[in-house]
Amino acid sequence: MIIYALKRLGYSIPLLLGVTFMTFLFIHIAPGDFLSELKSNPQVSRQAIKLYEEKFHLNEPLLNQYLIWLKNILKGDLGYSFSYKAEVKNVIASRAKNTIILSLSAIVFTWIFVIPLGIIASLHKNKFIDRFISLFSYLGISSPSFLLAMVFLYFAYISGLLPLGGMRSLRFYELSALGKILDIAKHLVIPTIALSFASIASLQRIMRANMLEVLGSAYILAAKARGISNTRILYVHALKNALNPMITIFGYQFSSLLSGAALTEIIVGWPGLGQVALEAVRKQDLYLVMGSVIISGVLLIAGNLIADILLAFSDPRIRY
Amino acid sequence: MRGPISKSLLFIVLLLTTQISIAAQVWQKPSGNYKFDCGRPGGSLILYATSDPKSFNPIVAKETSTTQITSYLFEGLTRVDPRTLKVIPNLAKSWQNQDGRRWIFHLRKDVYWSDGHKFTAGDVTFTFNNIIYNPKIPTGTRDIFTIEGKKIKIKAVDDYTVEFILPSVFSPFLRALSQDILPRHKYLSLVSKDKFTFSMGLDSKPEDIVGTGPFRLKKYLAGERVVLERNPYYWKKDACGNNFPYLDEIIFIILPNPETALLKFLEGELDYYSLRPQDLAILGPRKNKDFTIYNAGIAFGSNFLVFNENPAINPRTKKHYVEPYKLRWFRDKRFRKAVSFAVNRRKIIEIVMNGLGVPQYSPLSPANTLFYSDNVIKYLYDPAKAKDILYSLGFRDADSDGVLEDKHGNKLEINLFTNANSPERITIAVLIKEDLGSLGFKVNFMPLDFNNLVTKLTATFDWEAVIIGLTGGIEPYFGKNVWSYKGDLHAWNPTKKALDDYELKIDDIFNKSAKTLDMAKRKELFNEWQYIVSDNLPFIYTVQGYSIYAVRNRFGNLFPTVYGGAFSEIERVYVLDKAKK
Repeated sequence: MIIYALKRLGYSIPLLLGVTFMTFLFIHIAPGDFLSELKSNPQVSRQAIKLYEEKFHLNEPLLNQYLIWLKNILKGDLGYSFSYKAEVKNVIASRAKNTIILSLSAIVFTWIFVIPLGIIASLHKNKFIDRFISLFSYLGISSPSFLLAMVFLYFAYISGLLPLGGMRSLRFYELSALGKILDIAKHLVIPTIALSFASIASLQRIMRANMLEVLGSAYILAAKARGISNTRILYVHALKNALNPMITIFGYQFSSLLSGAALTEIIVGWPGLGQVALEAVRKQDLYLVMGSVIISGVLLIAGNLIADILLAFSDPRIRY
Repeated sequence: MRGPISKSLLFIVLLLTTQISIAAQVWQKPSGNYKFDCGRPGGSLILYATSDPKSFNPIVAKETSTTQITSYLFEGLTRVDPRTLKVIPNLAKSWQNQDGRRWIFHLRKDVYWSDGHKFTAGDVTFTFNNIIYNPKIPTGTRDIFTIEGKKIKIKAVDDYTVEFILPSVFSPFLRALSQDILPRHKYLSLVSKDKFTFSMGLDSKPEDIVGTGPFRLKKYLAGERVVLERNPYYWKKDACGNNFPYLDEIIFIILPNPETALLKFLEGELDYYSLRPQDLAILGPRKNKDFTIYNAGIAFGSNFLVFNENPAINPRTKKHYVEPYKLRWFRDKRFRKAVSFAVNRRKIIEIVMNGLGVPQYSPLSPANTLFYSDNVIKYLYDPAKAKDILYSLGFRDADSDGVLEDKHGNKLEINLFTNANSPERITIAVLIKEDLGSLGFKVNFMPLDFNNLVTKLTATFDWEAVIIGLTGGIEPYFGKNVWSYKGDLHAWNPTKKALDDYELKIDDIFNKSAKTLDMAKRKELFNEWQYIVSDNLPFIYTVQGYSIYAVRNRFGNLFPTVYGGAFSEIERVYVLDKAKK
């Protein structure tokens, strides 16, 4: 198992090299660069632009720039953000925690609903409750999360029950420890629901299909024939097998921990990384983009690895 | 494909912006009677920002997101009176100058930095000699203080007297001196270690951001808020002898989405909201308002249509940047006049600005009361006249396909770009496309990414027509890079050679304006420039909107201006007694 994990990590190195080089290339191919905005400013001369280019090493050949970046990465240096004039490490660190809080909250919220809803729907196949859950699914899949966030904010405004965006209230630093947690929890409600809605809707459909497939298989019939109780069949024999494909999906969700919430973050004013990464791409803030790409890449690889290992525990047929 | 998309876009815009007929009653003009009370200290003001500041370094970072914070932290030797737009004393209490070249500034002796150190002439010489003129620090500020390629010589005569010797007479000098001054004792070691460019960043400790402004940094939470607190060492005092500023705190909540900001303003969390035209329909009709909507007047800035008149050949492709037959159209002043007559500016104002704007014909905004001239050629919407001009230039629809052809049978087809992140410009482009379309133009409109558009305008030159804008300041001379044919942003003709006599004339005006100290004479020069531009139309200006702000009714000494925003003289703003929280 440990050898397998190490091998997998080994394979991921060329993958990361590929992903980062492609990103590097695309940002360079895209017209303009970070200095385009300065170039459009009547009060900035060409000499000043040149100095910026030198400071940011934008005048070197593409491959050189990439190799310099790579060398620094190995030393743990993610480079400087052009627009923040600060280390990428610090820019990302100041935001990543908040995004992880939001994403984790959304993932937990999603899975709390996905599995029970999938089971209920599969047990009541084509009955009213299944149809009702389907209707909700179609709604969820077809409404984008940023739109939901906006609608929820409006309801929060009308009802006055929840804070209108942000992560902490202004009085946060005067609150007790418990008060602080409650304060953040209150601010989490809207973005969490908005982010989870679509994934709950689609994932519970997958869970339902898995359950139906397993319940229709021969070994369940055999178990029934042996007189094993329905509850036991359902929760011990069927569920375990129906969950296997879900574990893989769960692993994939890890990759979106840092990048999946950008639009929702912008709508509700959540101080996360998505906002910064999006602006960095738009402004071609090269190393900030590279920093967020490499972190997302690492998370994707780690997520998949975790999913595979979990799968090995849950499915006895899989051995590494 | 493009036709239907732009049509539906227009339709959506029409749906969203229903006309407001009550507009005249929902706002008020700021009082013309600028009488300031002695306020009471205390309370806070809660504002919002659409994005995080990028740094607290006022020399290196110049984006609005940064300067809207740093403008409260730092000050210059002079400042601009937000109402008259004239230059008035600030950290320098007076100055003398005989020949326009040698200036002596007498500094105030009662100014302290926000960490309690005394402000002296050494700080001024440090800011210029060690930072602005430091070749290792990239800053556009250096260009403002570089006159005909030469530096200004700056010397401290004594602790409170500074001498500036200019290489030649430079009339925008006093206005340029509103440049923020930085403390020598705080930043000298960073500058000498060549670390200044990347210092004063967002991860700085609040006590490391030191200025002479009315406020200082208290706390910054990335993506959430910037909190400023009263600078206890601030030098200005009110008429009753109390210290400015009155407010304890200014809080900027970072809200990238304007809809969320609007909800927060309605709910009462924000004290201020900057209105987009469509917001007036929501905020205007509300009953029992605890806020007031101010219309401070026509805004600075502009949106214009420009044609590529670049006659050069692309050295890489060996082809003309602009098809020679199209170049013939664009280079013809009469063609550009026809286009200007064809633009229905009233319609743009109704649709894009909800009726809250004015047509623009001068390169300056009427907000620029010092230099704006109304004596320009105005192109009132006249499609018949536009048609006549095109006819006289030989444009006919010979094959009756609805698109005109020139004398040589080339179809009147133009590619039009604008930047995709400006919904306002996209709608203007769609409307102009329709106006020109009904005259027999075939306009292919495509919004482009901002960086892409700038690259086309400044480096690759592969464009035909563009709608873009420039942010306007008060001093027209600072637009020289755009207006002089030698400038790097002379968009319509980047060859650095004058194509027409009027370009020589404009260059001459700008050079003269820098050498002329007499304000009346400068105004005359710039009046002439404005007339020449309106006659030759290198830029075909469109419309200008108003600056409209909503502010909660809890503040005294509030005199919103276009130049200074809703809180023009922030140190004077105070929380009214009954409104204190």
